Amino acid sequence: VSAPRGPHLFKDIDTPGLTGIDVYRSLGGYQTVPKVVGVKPPEACIEEVKASGLRGRGGAGFPTGLKWSFVPKGTAKPKYLVCNADESEPGTFKDRELLEKDPHRLIEGMILSAWAFGANTGYIYFRGEFAHLERTMQRAIDEARRAGLVGARIAGTDFAFEVHTHLGAGAYICGEETALLSSLEGYRGQPRLKPPFPAVEGLYRCPTVVNNVETLMNVPGILQHGAAWFRQWGTEKSPGTKILSVSGPVKRPGNHEVPMGLPLATLIDQYCGGMRDGLKVKAVIPGGSSVPLLPASQLDTGLDFESMNARGTFLGSGGVIVIDDQTCIVDALHNLIRFYEHESCGKCTPCREGTFWMAEILARLETGGGREDDVALLADLADNILGKSFCALGDAAAMPVQGALLHFRDEFDHHVRARRCVVNRRRESLEGVPA
Amino acid sequence: MSAPAPQQVRVTIDGRTVEVPAGTLVTDAAKHAQVHIPIFCSHEKLPPLGACRICVVEIGTPKRNRDGTPVLAADGSPEIAWMPKPQTACTTTVTDGMVVATITPGAVKARQGVMEFLLVNHPLDCPVCDEGGECQLQDLAFAFGHDASRMSDAKRTFVSEDLGPVVKKEANRCIVCMRCVRYCDEVMGEDALTAHQRGVHTEISSFNRQPLECEQCGNCVEVCPVGALTALPYRFKARPWDLRQHVTICPWCSNGCSVRLGVRGMEILRARGTEQRGINHEFLCVRGRFGYEFVASPERLSTPLLRLGGGGLQPAGFDEAVTFAAGELQAIARRHGPSSIAFLGGEKLNVEEQYLFQKLARAVLGTNHVDARTRFTAPVPGDAILRATGGGRAPLSFESLAHADHVLVLGDDLQGEGPLAQAVLVRAQHQQGTHVTVAHPRQVKLARPKFGGTWLPVQPGGEVAFVNGLTRAVRDAGLPDDLPAATAAALRALALPELAAAAGACGVAAGALAAAGTRLARAARGAIVFGRAYTEHPEAPALLQAIENLAWACGAITADASRVMYVGPQNDSQGALDMGLVPDHLPGYLPVADASARAGYERAWGGTLDGAPGMSAPEILRAAAEGKVRALWIASDHWLASAPDRTLAEQALAKAELVIVNELFLTDTARAAHVVFPVAAFAEKEGVTVNCERRLQRTARALSPRRGVKSDGDVFQAVARALGATWSYRGPEDVYREIARLVPGYHDTGWATMLPLGPQWRFEHAPRAARLEPATDGRPAAGEGHWLLAGGVLFLQGSLAHRTTLLPKLAKAPRAYVNAAEARSLGVTDGEPLVIAGPAGELTLPVAFDDAVPAGCVFVPYAQAGVALNRLGAPAGAGLRVRLSAAAAVAKA
Repeated sequence: VSAPRGPHLFKDIDTPGLTGIDVYRSLGGYQTVPKVVGVKPPEACIEEVKASGLRGRGGAGFPTGLKWSFVPKGTAKPKYLVCNADESEPGTFKDRELLEKDPHRLIEGMILSAWAFGANTGYIYFRGEFAHLERTMQRAIDEARRAGLVGARIAGTDFAFEVHTHLGAGAYICGEETALLSSLEGYRGQPRLKPPFPAVEGLYRCPTVVNNVETLMNVPGILQHGAAWFRQWGTEKSPGTKILSVSGPVKRPGNHEVPMGLPLATLIDQYCGGMRDGLKVKAVIPGGSSVPLLPASQLDTGLDFESMNARGTFLGSGGVIVIDDQTCIVDALHNLIRFYEHESCGKCTPCREGTFWMAEILARLETGGGREDDVALLADLADNILGKSFCALGDAAAMPVQGALLHFRDEFDHHVRARRCVVNRRRESLEGVPA
Repeated sequence: MSAPAPQQVRVTIDGRTVEVPAGTLVTDAAKHAQVHIPIFCSHEKLPPLGACRICVVEIGTPKRNRDGTPVLAADGSPEIAWMPKPQTACTTTVTDGMVVATITPGAVKARQGVMEFLLVNHPLDCPVCDEGGECQLQDLAFAFGHDASRMSDAKRTFVSEDLGPVVKKEANRCIVCMRCVRYCDEVMGEDALTAHQRGVHTEISSFNRQPLECEQCGNCVEVCPVGALTALPYRFKARPWDLRQHVTICPWCSNGCSVRLGVRGMEILRARGTEQRGINHEFLCVRGRFGYEFVASPERLSTPLLRLGGGGLQPAGFDEAVTFAAGELQAIARRHGPSSIAFLGGEKLNVEEQYLFQKLARAVLGTNHVDARTRFTAPVPGDAILRATGGGRAPLSFESLAHADHVLVLGDDLQGEGPLAQAVLVRAQHQQGTHVTVAHPRQVKLARPKFGGTWLPVQPGGEVAFVNGLTRAVRDAGLPDDLPAATAAALRALALPELAAAAGACGVAAGALAAAGTRLARAARGAIVFGRAYTEHPEAPALLQAIENLAWACGAITADASRVMYVGPQNDSQGALDMGLVPDHLPGYLPVADASARAGYERAWGGTLDGAPGMSAPEILRAAAEGKVRALWIASDHWLASAPDRTLAEQALAKAELVIVNELFLTDTARAAHVVFPVAAFAEKEGVTVNCERRLQRTARALSPRRGVKSDGDVFQAVARALGATWSYRGPEDVYREIARLVPGYHDTGWATMLPLGPQWRFEHAPRAARLEPATDGRPAAGEGHWLLAGGVLFLQGSLAHRTTLLPKLAKAPRAYVNAAEARSLGVTDGEPLVIAGPAGELTLPVAFDDAVPAGCVFVPYAQAGVALNRLGAPAGAGLRVRLSAAAAVAKA
């Protein structure tokens, strides 16, 4: 067995047979369930998670314990726990590895979370492409049920908790929690008006907590070892570890679990072994495609929520996309915006029309048909989308444009003037354009 | 029972401070402040959506200290914490001290940005777009848009689609506001439209991109803020600014929707809802929206017709026809006495005309044989419906029906009989969780499981037992606390069947009766709706008594208010009752037999009135068939179609010495007449009609009648004068003034108060005391054969539907409907002819399968082309048993 890949979630991740309940248990899994369920008062569980400072790992970074505490107490309605396994943010693939290799930890996290705020039913919403992971999960759920950990009378107590899996149909928007709930109910996957927030009126108009896979998988450790143990990693406001999905021309791309607050440069140089083929970092998109990029000059930024905000970007889902100096920013941005145009659900005007229009302009710029006022127009359109769309998808499309224009305006201007890229690698962008 | 008034809050919008109830949306508060905030996706009948984003504004709330007091600036004004992003006004509710800005640079840029996005893929085809000139997008582009487009790339395009004979879709113009989809689902309960694809490729269509299979109401076209959904009948017909707009009242049913007619020259080109006006606002059903065609039909009668000396009908002058009619009436009255004359029909007339019709009969000719209720099969006292609907207590409105927590629909299929009432209930179910209990032998639309209500499949013939059983269940669950002691005692003493016995007689399980009774008893704002299925029933007097018992028992009638609604078969069925078009009551429900009541009218009208109540419509029918009634005047009623027994009606028309008919068309009834007066259609005359919520509403004259065509009122006056009466009404307003002076319930009402919405009827007299008596079904329980279920359907409301081109096209070909198992046992398959034999005659119709029809029954819609149900014998459509057989078997035998 090689050295552990990470301090917490990745400590045993590569253990052979971890998807089976026996191996998971041999490593200490499910030990927390009998110590918490029916024993530790739910309020105390919520307080413990609050004290740990655990923040949502899906992208928004909302304090998890606080979210749970919004669920009304003493309501006659059923409460639901929904695990968001719709990991669709470009550049992000951490939940996929966690689900693939360690499904029981998610089940354990869901049991404990459900106990904490009183849910008796849980749903795991997988993105459509995760069909194989749904099967892995279903096997794990069946094992857990046989072990008395799922279903009625969990661990011999009166607490009942059932887990269902659901496969989406391939829409990025269904990672947005209210769109996910609409999709789970069988409706068109489109976001709903907030308020009411899901904690008050969510799935089937009942109190619902939606948590990300990685978030829920942090819960067993916190309830087993306590908040102080969790706080041994990370910063004051961003405690714990974070799994970062690194892509781009680094030597060791892939998922890395790091303590929060680690400088971006350390991640790239030490965890990923630096750049390959002598390439240099031009920019990094630190938190999945929806966040503004950071230029190479800002690689000292810490990988935590506050440090990223201070630099005008976000830690997001932890999808670190490294862009090298041979990549054209206009091309990269065009690629991104095409994604958002394709994935815009169409509900609100700014996102539906704005992503389409921006994609048209970027296509023109990239292929040498850009006009003098296109760059300013692009900036203005991004501004007209940002903060005016129904949900964050519009913002997600606008922010990368703003980030790219802030740091690499010259590349856009060059595209307009020279009708070609600053970098030479993308020769196809010159096709059909006379020299 | 009313909720406490919500707290008032102060909100400042663009510097104007207004006070509105807490919970008001910013868009609505802005209207109070007279600030215009544009909207597209928002609609008053749909919950907030917040999708189009055109209503973005900047919103701030007062900063608060820790103790909750507002933070004050140096000048003493509260400091405002502005929200970091613009907010949608259509989804934000006001809070006290809120400040809204629509004209700050941030708000203006946000709105202009959205406006520009809306136009990115919107075509520049305004000059050929039906919506052009009244398009909200066009107006807003003018108000907030850029003067030049920054969009130079190719637009995303779709192909246009025909979605059936009513809706044509131009998807390129669509701004994806989802109003049509949501209205179709939440208000119409049809769910016929959906969005395909996503993002910029989102396209509204039917689910399978096939023609819409729905009510074809066209409300999707109405609520479309742009020209994406257009109405095929109006497409490319006119520019809106070329149309004169007249708001009048729809003639197609008793709901009384306001309808805005678009008229060019002498032609109605379209009918639309009225936006914020009337009881219906934008809503219209398919008949109201597209049924206006009959007004311009070339088949309309335009000259009086006379049958002189046993020949055929010949055109005649109006004066000639009047003189002839008056002379003949006078002669018959002289020869056989006034009681040999009977007046029938008039449910479609305005109240002024109804009033004159009975005044002509009673005061000028001296007969009390007056009855508008030509479809009734049993003699029903003229005030029986008044009693069942609360005896003069404050009537139920659509507004309060919309806020009911439980509604019992007795016997009627509201899809055909009252589309607005159905839409009100669908929306209440969808948006407020109102529970609707439908008692109907067929599983009609409102009884479908998707609405979450209860369907009680009452066996035909078991109606009285059903209502009695339900009353028993309500009483068992507990009578209302606030019942007057005497009423409660009477209800407790009332003989009502055991649930098991009632269940055996009506086919609804005792458990279901008990559950429904508990629901009725527990409802805080329960309502009851009934209609022609019960009033045209052979046991109508018992049924109306049973409804009165039930209504008191469940609290739908209280000491001062009624929550029982009668949905009559015609637009002014209620007015006919109010105006005394019944044999036993003078206008205002004053009994004919009451000398003091008569005295009032005698003073006003001059002369003496006959104190003996006349014959009711079914009695007139029999008497006329036997030759005892010599003269019949039938006003705006196709009697051969509406009378419960056509054979008898034919005999009556053949035997009568004089038949006068007021008609729009040369119907079979008119063909049998001696005098035919062509009369004005609904859009060609003014007057007042009374809808099913007893609201007085004024109709407007949008068109002049053609030369030679008079209003019914003018005909009555001309004949009255020829008979020597000194009537001198200059028009309906004069008549109405007399009504307002004389008729209880109409005092202190005037024309001026009835536009656009009149008051609901108020009875100045003490309301009728509760009369709680056992209601018993006098008919034998056993019988042979299948029950004939008849009923109104949406596309065919009476004979006028066949005078349009669209409605018969939408209606299915004439069919008799049985469920599949029934058809198998009869040995017929889909489309094969089925012989329906009644006591007086038989019909052969192709059969169609419909599992909503219960076993042992056959359903035949009224008014199908060439299908005279009343051929089968009385009482057609209300409890008649028929023999069914496959046509082939008959041929073999």
